[in-house]
Amino acid sequence: MALSDLSSQYIEKSKRHVLLIVLISILTLLFAVYSMGTGSSSNLGFWSTLKIILGLEEGSNVQNAIIWDLRFPRILMAIVGGTALATAGALMQGALGNPLVSPLTLGVASGAALGAALAIVLDWTIIEYPPGMTIVLNAFLFSLIVVFIIIQLGNMRSISPESYILVGIAITFISGAIVSTLQYFATDAQLSALAHWSFGSLSRPTIENAILVSMILVILLPTALVWAWDLNALSMGGEEFAISTGVDPVKTRKNILILSALMTSIVIAFTGLIGFVGLAAPHMSRIFVGNDFRKLIPCSAVLGSFLMLFADTVGRTLFAPVVIPVGIMLSVIGGPFFMYLLLKKSGGKF
Amino acid sequence: MIDLLSVEDLSFSWGENEVLKGINFTIQPGEIVAILGVNGAGKSTLIKCLNRIIKMDSGSVEVFSKDLQSLNLIELSKLMSYVPQSVRTSFGIDVFEVVLLGRRPHISWRVSSRDQKIVSETLQFLSLEEFAFRRFDQLSGGERQRVIIAKAIAQDANLILMDEPTSDLDLKNQIGTMKRIAEMISQSQNKSALIAIHDINIAAKFADRILLMHDGKIVSNGTPSEVLTSKNIATVFGVTCQIIPVIERKADAHSY
Repeated sequence: MALSDLSSQYIEKSKRHVLLIVLISILTLLFAVYSMGTGSSSNLGFWSTLKIILGLEEGSNVQNAIIWDLRFPRILMAIVGGTALATAGALMQGALGNPLVSPLTLGVASGAALGAALAIVLDWTIIEYPPGMTIVLNAFLFSLIVVFIIIQLGNMRSISPESYILVGIAITFISGAIVSTLQYFATDAQLSALAHWSFGSLSRPTIENAILVSMILVILLPTALVWAWDLNALSMGGEEFAISTGVDPVKTRKNILILSALMTSIVIAFTGLIGFVGLAAPHMSRIFVGNDFRKLIPCSAVLGSFLMLFADTVGRTLFAPVVIPVGIMLSVIGGPFFMYLLLKKSGGKF
Repeated sequence: MIDLLSVEDLSFSWGENEVLKGINFTIQPGEIVAILGVNGAGKSTLIKCLNRIIKMDSGSVEVFSKDLQSLNLIELSKLMSYVPQSVRTSFGIDVFEVVLLGRRPHISWRVSSRDQKIVSETLQFLSLEEFAFRRFDQLSGGERQRVIIAKAIAQDANLILMDEPTSDLDLKNQIGTMKRIAEMISQSQNKSALIAIHDINIAAKFADRILLMHDGKIVSNGTPSEVLTSKNIATVFGVTCQIIPVIERKADAHSY
């Protein structure tokens, strides 16, 4: 095989991957338009919705209210939430060199769940302002406690990837035990609120919440890409390999885990527990574009947003007017698809 | 001539267990140096100390007169590449991309056509081109080992550190791969290799110099004919043997 053949094959493959990422992005945007016109209260059709969104057609007051006030916040949250959780999953899997890791593994979500449970059941919050946001804030602040624990672990030079995972599991058990105890003493109304929070739903975030999360992500996502090459080296599994390519595994792992934990906590505080997308989207992306994090991060991000949007749209329309929370729909739809891709497309290996 | 590598009084302990005890040696540009010794003699630990994978307790290491400790990891990886005993990954990574990781110290983001050319050339150099777009984790142990050697060569560092690089290779590939490494070193003015190895014949055939390690110390340092004596082999390995020189070998190597 000629030298140029290898290079051109590499370039061709890279181009195909970039094209695929662009196609998934376009598909997500088109689906977002469809989703904005679809729901239990009013179905507008794709072109009418697009014209109203672009200002080419004057929608009725009701149509405008449904599109912009009712559906736009949850669709924006689906896109940014899916992006954040899938990216966090990809980062964590790469940093820890472990395909079983998801954004929930490090215990960030369990911390958030504990914060939410304390706010719902005991009305105990770290910050009591602004009213109506206390559960979200408590969930976020408790997840930050877990981020702080991750930072402290990262400061130990001898910390191994397995230790992060084990500490995460321990945090999950501890939080789970306290939440269960709180449930034991909770009233029916509190139990219902807690169960609803734990389902993971896009109906709670307001447009202000969604915009806030979007703005934070605009800062955090490019930061993730800065570490793409380091993640390529770290995901080869083994500190020796990373060091020999000029990467400090301990420092890099710590920074990446803090970044991904922040991405997770900012979303989960608003939406509740959504786990599956952070595990599945990076693996599906690997099947599509390989393990080069320069492509894997963007692919996970767009695929995560598509999966979240798709699951939420199905959840809103399948049994309308009943809305199935996105966390449940993601597992129901994404689970079988994920297994299909794993077994059929990649021969059981990622 | 300036030393490519200079090691002075290097010591390292795992807790109470003193693994390296005052190691001293130098490597000149163009040299292939083999480290021989029994399991636990300190060969791998020495290589890891040189590559800063583990932190030495005392002593000094200089590469082209630059203190190893003063370099950041990127600078270090431009001077030293490393072939670990084994590499396992849980993810599907193309062989081309694994070898491309050798260019990581030279790349900020974009892979240049020069980087692609070096990777392609290295794959061809080690006869790995047919594996270029196969998944690393689906290769055999020997093929993986050759890919990691290709990654270390693509890194274009001055000193290539290898920890038992031929342990998973069949006889043909052991000799073929070592020949390629020797060819690479001889073609360059400023490259050397330090190889921890168990196969005395391979060391004798390809090394310019052998460091014989025993109980954390270098007990003999010289050409293969100087180091590989019946007495040294008996002292270090506890095996009685007869040395039979083979004439066509590099330097004045020996066989058994």
